[in-house]
Amino acid sequence: MARLGRSFVATLLLGSLMTTTAFAQGAMSDVGTPRSETLIVQTFDGRSANPTAQNPLNSYAIWRGFRELGWGYLWEMDTATGESYPEMADGFPEVLNEENTQFRIKIRPGITWSDGQPFTTDDIIYSLDTAFKYREQLTNVASVTVYLKSYKKIDDLTFEVETVNPSFDLTTRLGVYTWGTPFNWVPKHIFEPLGDEVVSFQNAPPVTLGPYKVKEFDPNGFWQLWELREDWEKSSWGNLGTPKPKYILYKDFGTEETRALAFVQNQYDIDSFMSPDSIDAAKARNPAIETFSATFPYHDMNDACSYGVYINQQRAPYDMEEVRWALALSLNLSQVGISAMSGQFKAAALPLPDTPITNSIFYEANLQALKDLTIGDGYKPFDAEFSNTLVESLKTQGIDPALLPTGEAIQEGFGAGWWKHDPAEAEKLLASVGIEKGADGFYAMPDGSPWVIEFVIPGDWNKVLQRLGFSIADSWRQAGFNVNARQVDNGEYTTVQNTNARNELQINWSNTCVYNSNWLGNWNQFRESNIKPADSNDPLSGNYARITDPEVLALVDEGSRLPLDDPKFVENGQKIAMEIAQDMQIINLMNIPTTIPTNSTYWTNYPKQDNFYAAPYTWWSSFKKTVVSIEPTGQQ
Amino acid sequence: MTMSKDIDPIVMAVPAAPLSKRRKGSLAWLLNVRLAIGLAILLIMGLGSLILPFFATVDPSIQSSFMRNMPPSAAHWLGTNSLGQDIFWFLVFAIRNSLALGVLVACGVTLVATIVGLSAGYIGGRFERFVMLIVDTFITIPLLPILIILGALIRGNTSFFTVGIIIIIFGWAWDARTVRSMALSLREREFINMARFSGANTMQIIAREIFPYVSAYMVVGFINVVLFAINTEATLAVIGLSKVEVPTLGSIIFWALNYNALFTGQYVWLVAPIIATVTLFLGLFLTSTGFNQAFASKRGVS
Amino acid sequence: MGVLRYVAKRIGLYLAVLFIGLTITFMLPRLMPINPVDGYIGQLQSRANGTLTSEAIAEMRTNLEQLYGLNGNVFTQYVSYLKRVVVDFDFGPSFTYYPQPVSAMILNALPWTLGLLLTATFIAWVLGNMVGLVAGYFHKKRAASILEFLGILLYPIPYYILAITLLLLLAYIFPVFPLSPTFPVGQMTPEKLGMIFYNSLLPGITLVLAGFGWNILSMKALAVATTEEPYVTYARLKGASNWTRMMRYVFRNALLPQVTALALSLGMVFNGALLTEMIFSYPGIGLIMRTAATGGDYNVLYGAITLSIIAVATAGLVIDLIYPLLDPRIRHK
Repeated sequence: MARLGRSFVATLLLGSLMTTTAFAQGAMSDVGTPRSETLIVQTFDGRSANPTAQNPLNSYAIWRGFRELGWGYLWEMDTATGESYPEMADGFPEVLNEENTQFRIKIRPGITWSDGQPFTTDDIIYSLDTAFKYREQLTNVASVTVYLKSYKKIDDLTFEVETVNPSFDLTTRLGVYTWGTPFNWVPKHIFEPLGDEVVSFQNAPPVTLGPYKVKEFDPNGFWQLWELREDWEKSSWGNLGTPKPKYILYKDFGTEETRALAFVQNQYDIDSFMSPDSIDAAKARNPAIETFSATFPYHDMNDACSYGVYINQQRAPYDMEEVRWALALSLNLSQVGISAMSGQFKAAALPLPDTPITNSIFYEANLQALKDLTIGDGYKPFDAEFSNTLVESLKTQGIDPALLPTGEAIQEGFGAGWWKHDPAEAEKLLASVGIEKGADGFYAMPDGSPWVIEFVIPGDWNKVLQRLGFSIADSWRQAGFNVNARQVDNGEYTTVQNTNARNELQINWSNTCVYNSNWLGNWNQFRESNIKPADSNDPLSGNYARITDPEVLALVDEGSRLPLDDPKFVENGQKIAMEIAQDMQIINLMNIPTTIPTNSTYWTNYPKQDNFYAAPYTWWSSFKKTVVSIEPTGQQ
Repeated sequence: MTMSKDIDPIVMAVPAAPLSKRRKGSLAWLLNVRLAIGLAILLIMGLGSLILPFFATVDPSIQSSFMRNMPPSAAHWLGTNSLGQDIFWFLVFAIRNSLALGVLVACGVTLVATIVGLSAGYIGGRFERFVMLIVDTFITIPLLPILIILGALIRGNTSFFTVGIIIIIFGWAWDARTVRSMALSLREREFINMARFSGANTMQIIAREIFPYVSAYMVVGFINVVLFAINTEATLAVIGLSKVEVPTLGSIIFWALNYNALFTGQYVWLVAPIIATVTLFLGLFLTSTGFNQAFASKRGVS
Repeated sequence: MGVLRYVAKRIGLYLAVLFIGLTITFMLPRLMPINPVDGYIGQLQSRANGTLTSEAIAEMRTNLEQLYGLNGNVFTQYVSYLKRVVVDFDFGPSFTYYPQPVSAMILNALPWTLGLLLTATFIAWVLGNMVGLVAGYFHKKRAASILEFLGILLYPIPYYILAITLLLLLAYIFPVFPLSPTFPVGQMTPEKLGMIFYNSLLPGITLVLAGFGWNILSMKALAVATTEEPYVTYARLKGASNWTRMMRYVFRNALLPQVTALALSLGMVFNGALLTEMIFSYPGIGLIMRTAATGGDYNVLYGAITLSIIAVATAGLVIDLIYPLLDPRIRHK
């Protein structure tokens, strides 16, 4: 029901008449582009409160296509395999010294900015100069200013950098790691004339490197329209293939209620997160709506992070392994997953997601160890049959068996297993450290004082986690823990995450993000320097899982000094995962389930489970793969 | 615009002459159709929600007690929701909690507003100016943004009655202003002047002449604050700022919206609390206008 | 008889209210359990997780505290806040969207909020009062009860329910209006204005319906009361027509408190803005407030709340100044 129909109605209305019949099949989108040439995408984080901020050196609206369509990277990542590949760079960096601190980088010739100016090392040097010069005023440059020690131009297409510490991950630090990069190159010819003004420069609309440029954007932040450059072949990823849509519109369609309705009306093509119940209803109403997987779980489970309950292990009584294990064994994950997400989840017992890429590296290597693991008086907590049992209970819940996987696919769909649900064993473990139920039926502290667990969960800014959190709290309450589930706004959420004195238990994902064998990108935060006293009010700058285990810290430290392709490096990662799991330092729950339903009315060949050419996310830089792979249906 | 409703619609309709020539005994003048229907609704809902919870077999706020998404049946009169809770029992608890909150807030607001408004309006002078400074300050602070800020502070940390206290703190000022302007207008009326000339002192005038005049408003105002409080808590719950695990009329709607009940076709889950809310509000409203009518006709008699 | 003195006093009160209001506005966000720097850093983390190192975060934190002016004690911050707000009407930069100034964010959003809510409030007031007057004046007739019933039916429906129901009804089941409007940008043309008007209709209708019931009920109650005043009876005895009595006697007198109510509710549009804008994806100050509260963006909250305090206080001032003109019973000694 696009624009023609609407403005027609609008005109009629002005003449005081309303009509519902005037909805001719709209050929135009709301922003006046031909619908058949426009790909419309739900913006990941909704409306932008400050859409004119488009200077990548400062805060800017990253989610509206900049990362995917606008900027260019030296190295990009193939999200189907987890491998890096050169985008604007000409090959991989050349290592110049033994310590792995000096590198020479070449740029692919022929790349131009969207205004036709050539992209050269001058832009790179200017970007770095500006970052260092204004490092105290610019808010988005710290990732390079703490990383690089020096840099110099060799010629127009060659430059060299020296890093502060030995670096084996230059391609993901100066390029893309899974979804994007924290530092972007800016056009010297636009920024340099501004002098000191760069620190407050808005840069709207920006001169960009990608094949698309900003055509229009809504000053109220609801939408942004990108148009394919005529010279797109000269853009940062002009060599990747032909971008199919002439226009790409990022728009926020509002709350989930309105979004689901608009999706059914074919108003847009790709959604972000949509809750399982809404997807079911949407699929029933519009056959063009497809989920990532045709069978349960429908969701895409290939996100780089996993959800877990992070425990402040520096605080009593959570400093006791028995308490943490008791919490894990009291958590009825299968019931939680059914209540909160209709059973659409993939359990992950190790502190990282279980994806086709990570499974062979981390899960297979540790599966036997998980099965053999014993705690307390020889109790085996791992339940390798978790997924099979879950499938059975989904059947009793009335799910059509045709929608459920069978055989091998069960483990691939619902995960390799999780911890047993055994409140009796939990009670034993707690009793062994002097924790028993009081008169009110709830567990009390060893000294008999009341024990209320403060469990912080997101409010409606993350609906999946919000639901999961409430269901987990409910599960624990039924097992005898007095839990106070506190849903908070994202600002407070981060404050709780960062502040020891305020943190007890929190549902989180920020330290359980490993996409491939390079675990260092995320777990590098498990360092001595990121540990603060238990009652500290000073903010942490990492290690939100409060890992204090010296064994883990040593493994991380050692790993950071090894090349990424060293077998020893990978081995350290596997050991870290198992060490964290066996002391229950993080109660890891499941892969982040992202639904990404698509609508095939106007476009087809989206990435799917059985067509996995890239991660399906529209907010990862790898969305460019989708842009060159989709096909118009010809629907006008 | 729920929030602006505590400028009371009935206030202005307060009878224009005192009705206080105390005629003890018969209260028959109070009875009229509206009042009867209103009180009946309130009685049924109030008593029902107070007594029924004693017969509940499970705590309705516990998840996965039953199969999810069951249609209404003999065992589950309104079916079960997506969390495996019984919708009927959740509703019963919700009505009880919401009503309790409403009454608590109404007591607080009426008490504060009447004392402050009446004394300011009648005593006047420096005292009035000081009081009105406070009142005006509270009025000018927009309620919802403040509640959002406070919601971030309190949610999860305390019982949901704290929400009630906060609604009182930021809600009494409107009513106080109304009472004061009534008193202000009353001060100039003949029967007050008459009392003053006949030598009554301030307290006597407030107690004997002004209070009875205002008392009609108090009953009506009280009921309207109940309405306002339930609605405010519900608004907060719907945007997730109240304690949503406690069953209230708002928290049911929060959960139903959270699980997108409207779109997935679980209409009972969402419609039941709406009908309950509207019925409850209707009961409160009929009672308040019924009272008002009764007072008016009473005056007509005298 | 100091009219001037009364006005001066009232303005003094007005200023005092503003001062106290500003102080409370300053204090409240500081009670929030959110460190605003965390809000910004959290935002960065969520989009660059895994690549943002601890050192980078630490450096950013130091810089931000410096830039935001958060590193003095509370008193110093308070003094500079008052100075900035009172002298320059400047609320500093947004924390979450640094370096965008708050005043610019608010000024962008304000026309939308005011345009929609003022119009809707006014329409609801006019329509509601007309219906209420008729229902009240003829309150002994059956038709009047039906009109009142309309009010009774509309008044208790919580706003968000009304809004969601209308959205479902008029944008999905009968797709007359857009579910999620797209507002045109660039040079305004009559066609684009038409689009804006059209896109605003659904939230507008909802707001009118929500305000309508209250206006009917209160006007009806007032009209009933006024109809029984002796001067109306006198007018009837004098032989004034029904119409004259209704308009000249009942309406004029019943209108007085309704004007107060209107003026006060104009100030309260900031409350209504929040839910409306959330449900209907309508750009405006309510959405900005909500985002600011979730991110601990103090400066934006100050700006938005201060603005509404000024609006409500000014509305109150205006009422108090014109009230004696409207109601001769209130004299000033």
